[in-house]
Amino acid sequence: MKWLQSREQRELVEQIKASRARLHRVAFAWCHDTALADDLAQEALTHALAKVEQLRESERLVSWLFAILHRCWVDFLRARREDLDDEALAELPSDLPGPEALAERQETVSRVRAAVAALPLGQRQVVTLVDLEDLSYAEVAEVLAIPIGTVMSRLCRARGSLRGLLLESRAAQPLLRSVK
Amino acid sequence: MNDMKNFSDERLNAFVDNQLGGQECEEILAAIATDVELGQRISALRSTKELVRHAYGRAPAGQRVSWRQVPFWGGALAASLALLFGMLMGWQGHHAATAMEGGESVAAWAARLFAMEPTRILIHLDSSRPEQMDAALDLADAYLAKTSNARIEIIANNTGLDLLRARTTPYARRITELKAHHQRVGFIACGQTISRLRGAGEDVALVPEAVVTRTAIEHVAERVQEGWTYLKI
Repeated sequence: MKWLQSREQRELVEQIKASRARLHRVAFAWCHDTALADDLAQEALTHALAKVEQLRESERLVSWLFAILHRCWVDFLRARREDLDDEALAELPSDLPGPEALAERQETVSRVRAAVAALPLGQRQVVTLVDLEDLSYAEVAEVLAIPIGTVMSRLCRARGSLRGLLLESRAAQPLLRSVK
Repeated sequence: MNDMKNFSDERLNAFVDNQLGGQECEEILAAIATDVELGQRISALRSTKELVRHAYGRAPAGQRVSWRQVPFWGGALAASLALLFGMLMGWQGHHAATAMEGGESVAAWAARLFAMEPTRILIHLDSSRPEQMDAALDLADAYLAKTSNARIEIIANNTGLDLLRARTTPYARRITELKAHHQRVGFIACGQTISRLRGAGEDVALVPEAVVTRTAIEHVAERVQEGWTYLKI
């Protein structure tokens, strides 16, 4: 029995190590800084590996890992600004140039990233976990420790803003436009 | 059916994210059939989702890959883009023109489409099903025969690339003939699909008429921006 447990744990450790790319991608979508995303993913992995015995159900691995990543990110932000409560965190804007820079960006990827960066942090986290990781709303609620209704309302606002910026914007040329 | 339901954005998002139960999904699907505006709202949400996925790549779990190497064009993306482009082209009233109806011949479908007389058409093939390959070529053939100054491109990605692969295409000769008769027809292969296949160890030699573009999605977006009419087979 003891041997079985350790084999399961070894498998979990392998799965955790193999999750680096996913953690990095989501961290990058939150912070839009490659070096910082590297650090956050590395830190989340280190925490996860140190606490692997706390994970009781291996099927919850993904949301458990992203919850750790979220805490690493929040710790990083709070280290820079101690006054951040949960609400202020969710509304935190990005350091990156926002929608006004969109008009100058022609390449799809840069424009979408700029639009995502322009979202308040809480919305950015929800929309990236749902879209990039296919997490269920319940899993996102667990990862970010917020009610599922908040997940849905943030997602709604995020998609509404992205749609406005990317598909309907008048200031910027929309990515796709209608054909006469 | 006049009893259109008013679906909240939250609910439509949940639909797009596969978070609804079977019955709720069916209600929305039934409503889409009669409610053009609802279809547009869902298309916009799907498109937004797909753009985000595209912008950050979708790496398979456990592999360290950069976003540029990630194959992101799944069937769902193609379907939602088709919906989106159909919508953006102002074809809400012409749903029939963008999809073949059961039992309808390509000729009849093409006739309805051609009545709109577009001069530049991008035909998108993402499946190797023989009837879909046939349809793409039949459509190009028929339209070029009718409108000699039209420009047509067939863009192939995913398994649709088989149409342009020397070893797999059943239509090498037909492609050669089409190109010989009509200088204004182009056959475009998705570079990302090619890289993915090569990455899996496959030999991807294309027919000589094919040219390679970086990714299908970027090519489609570019053409639509230039005013081309987009058709998903």
